Amino acid sequence: MADNNVGLCIFSSGLQSGFHFDLKEVKLFASEIKEVKIIWELADGKTIKSDKLTEQIKSLSIDKVIIAGDYPGEVKTLFNHAAVKCGIKEENVLLADFSVYAHLNGKSTQMAKMLLMSLIKGYDPETFFVPEEVEVNTATLVIGGGIAGIQASLEIANGGNKVYLLEKTGTIGGHMAMFDKTFPTLDCAACILTPKMVEVGQHQNIEILTYSELIGLSGSAGNYMAKIHKKARRVNLATCIGCGTCTEKCPAKSSSEFDSGTSLRKAIYIPFPQAVPNKYLIDAEHCTYVQSGKCRVCEKVCPVPDCINLDEKDTEIEIEIGNIVVATGFKLFDSTRTSQFGYGKFPNVLTSLELERLINAAGPTGGNITFRTQDKKGNQIFEQGSGEPKSVAIIHCVGSRDENYNKYCSKVCCMYSLKLAHLVKEKLPEAKVFEYYIDMRAFGKGYEEFYQRIKAEGINIIRGRTATVQEKNGHLLLRSEDILNERIIEQEVDMVVLAAGLEPHEDSGKIAELLGLQTTSDGWFSERNFVFDPVGTFTGGITVAGVCQGPKDIPDTVAQASAAAAKVLQSIVKSKISKGVKSLSFSEIQAQIG
Amino acid sequence: MKYRVDANLKTELKKFGSKDWNECYHCGNCTAVCPLTENNFLFPRKSIRQAQMGLKTKLASNLDPWLCYFCGDCSKTCPRNANPGEIMMTLRRYMTSVYDWTGLSKKFYTSKTWEIAFIAVMFIAIIAVFGVFLPPARDIISNASKYIDPVSGGVLINSLVPGLEGHQFVKIIEIGDLSMAGIVAALLISNIFRMFYFTIIRDKSVRVPFYTYFTQAWQLLFNFISQPKFSKCDNKQYWFGHFLLMSGYVIMFTVIVALLPKFQVEEVFPWYNWQRILGYYATFGLLFFIIYSIIGRIRRNEIKFKFSHASDWLFLIMLGLTTVTGILIHFFRIGGLPVATYIIYVIHLAVLVPMILIEVPFSKWSHLAYRPFAVYFSKLKKAAYKLQTQQSELSTAA
Repeated sequence: MADNNVGLCIFSSGLQSGFHFDLKEVKLFASEIKEVKIIWELADGKTIKSDKLTEQIKSLSIDKVIIAGDYPGEVKTLFNHAAVKCGIKEENVLLADFSVYAHLNGKSTQMAKMLLMSLIKGYDPETFFVPEEVEVNTATLVIGGGIAGIQASLEIANGGNKVYLLEKTGTIGGHMAMFDKTFPTLDCAACILTPKMVEVGQHQNIEILTYSELIGLSGSAGNYMAKIHKKARRVNLATCIGCGTCTEKCPAKSSSEFDSGTSLRKAIYIPFPQAVPNKYLIDAEHCTYVQSGKCRVCEKVCPVPDCINLDEKDTEIEIEIGNIVVATGFKLFDSTRTSQFGYGKFPNVLTSLELERLINAAGPTGGNITFRTQDKKGNQIFEQGSGEPKSVAIIHCVGSRDENYNKYCSKVCCMYSLKLAHLVKEKLPEAKVFEYYIDMRAFGKGYEEFYQRIKAEGINIIRGRTATVQEKNGHLLLRSEDILNERIIEQEVDMVVLAAGLEPHEDSGKIAELLGLQTTSDGWFSERNFVFDPVGTFTGGITVAGVCQGPKDIPDTVAQASAAAAKVLQSIVKSKISKGVKSLSFSEIQAQIG
Repeated sequence: MKYRVDANLKTELKKFGSKDWNECYHCGNCTAVCPLTENNFLFPRKSIRQAQMGLKTKLASNLDPWLCYFCGDCSKTCPRNANPGEIMMTLRRYMTSVYDWTGLSKKFYTSKTWEIAFIAVMFIAIIAVFGVFLPPARDIISNASKYIDPVSGGVLINSLVPGLEGHQFVKIIEIGDLSMAGIVAALLISNIFRMFYFTIIRDKSVRVPFYTYFTQAWQLLFNFISQPKFSKCDNKQYWFGHFLLMSGYVIMFTVIVALLPKFQVEEVFPWYNWQRILGYYATFGLLFFIIYSIIGRIRRNEIKFKFSHASDWLFLIMLGLTTVTGILIHFFRIGGLPVATYIIYVIHLAVLVPMILIEVPFSKWSHLAYRPFAVYFSKLKKAAYKLQTQQSELSTAA
């Protein structure tokens, strides 16, 4: 082994459609390394004769064979045979599987080169992720106050460590707080979430930073300094008693984010009654005083002196932390993009999240499913008593599994659609409910059973996604192919619900840039290893949890959040942290290997 | 009924155009957006399914590809970018080869060499025939004025071959024309019988009531002339463009085959004469469509132009050459250029004959028969399905 003569095979299977490696560049790179004596280029259907291979290995006195490419294992047998014939041990036939880096935007070729270089020089590429001993700051920053952030914060804080929970909006809770029930158990979402929110709010180790955003990060793994922009809340968190007098008198209105736009809220508001912190805040964009300099009604009616400070300015703070958990979650697919379904054009085409709020007893209609109406000022809202639909259709895969929008499956829509169908049937037992699906993906524990249960409840489940929604005689007309019954169906319904897919949060690009995270081409954060390190990233001390890493349901999100917390706690307890490759440039890696 | 699965069908179909037969995941979007699809004739998805599963017999009994006119709405909205419109186009090519008993259609569609070789042989053969048997007079260059009508100044086109009276020359060409039309018609009619066998007789799921063969017969001519189904597509321009081409082509074909003695005459008619007006209309229709299609296929600006099979290009080139040479004959004749007229006249025939012999029975143009017949057959099947449901309703009621 003294010589380290390497025979390199570059193999492309052609199996992976989104294969973004520049194999030519990799070949050029490898040909310049002096240990590499020969390069075989193989592909699916392009192979080499075993005799010829043996002859070449012998004549060049090669003692190590590396098979690189996507799915290099496909040709390993061929090289194993040749190696054994030439007296090379099977351990020295190595695989460099590039496909694990396939999802890295732009950097995949570089990572492939690094992997190849390490193997040629005799290093295990995993050495870059072996934790090093550094003094790890025990405080952790959790970005995003949804269920993932809440779970991760609690796990870390219960382990006795300080947590800063950063949240962009006025309250923690995230999307889960908006849901009515969870599938497949039909638990009341608020009933299981709010105790956790309260626990976070009262935890002595957790400091909630609501209405705040991350704007900068410096330092290195174990000792980061995060710069945080705190938007002016204009209500003193310490003194506000949450009485609600200000909201009653406030003249300015805007659509409610928490109700997914189905109702209106005031400019001084509390996002929802169970919000944590349960304190008011002022939406500067819609506040009459901030916008025009006149009003100050809230200040006048507030019973607590100096509680409301309408001229409060945004501030910036800096915090020192050792680890960061990224849990920025998702945004719902914008259904106006799928114009064929008429969302935004026909008032009674709803998104799933809108229906979720309608069904919720604490929602704008007190749990009644009603038609969309207009208030006096022309705002589109839902109110009690504006008529109930006699038939509801749910269209699956809106914006998901579609090359024109998002290619991926959003994973949760089938199940939440079934749940919504059940809830509609529960609220309106006389109503007909239709589901139009492509494939029913009931993938988890108890999920298939849930699907069968909903089917038995008399919901019309039709295979064949609706192609168009049109308005006819005040009803909505859906045209679809009923694939299993071989016919075209035109169904008139009163309400259409679009099972919109999930997309990365609009800030995830900014966060990725600030933290140096890789994202997939769809914008989800890349984990370090899809199978064995689903929460780690290529940046040391930074973990990901929840939907920001890829679409997933609540149980999976919670599990991943706990896993991320475990990784954080491990680094704190052992005072060891891996630097990751982000801190090393490619030339540094080259220098390290020699 | 049992159906055999042919695992190689997809590989075979790839030669006819569409490359990817696995993209479709059967969401039903294409069938539902299509304004032409109806119960019992669900396309394109069902045809894609049959192709994916290798159901050759079922595919052969399927009329759906001929009921699609490729507006591209399905491809525009397909969530898999599977291009169902192009798949239907590919299936039409495949169907043409299935109906054709000579096997030449398959050869021409799947091998450029075969197609080009056939055209080349025919081209040379026709030039040779004219060169050997119908050579122009020796003094055509030195004594050009002898071959020009002194009154109109036009070339006496039928009198360029020595030893033949004008009407004799036309007779020879007419015999050639009619025998070509005869061969083409015989091939096409025999293939239509095969189509009938595959789609109606062999499809045991339908029993067509006998009287419908007569009651629905009007569909044939009606659909041949006006393509009413095509006009139901959302984009009406396509129907109009096709109508221009179709009417131009039908007029030209009728004039050169059935009315040749009236069309190819020595006299140069004034511009407002019916022969000239018909000729100009047909030329305009052909030229418009050719230019539009060539630009479209180069720019790939519309769904139906995104993918071009070799046969699409060859067809456009042949038709383009035929039209251009036809126009040149006209101008050379009026301009009084006997040599140029005769050379271009021979080239015109040498391009036209192989084009008709390939395109009409074996290739793209066979749809002039298959489409109206498919509509006719679909009406027969529809009547049969209607009767079946009535009978089953009766039996359940009883």
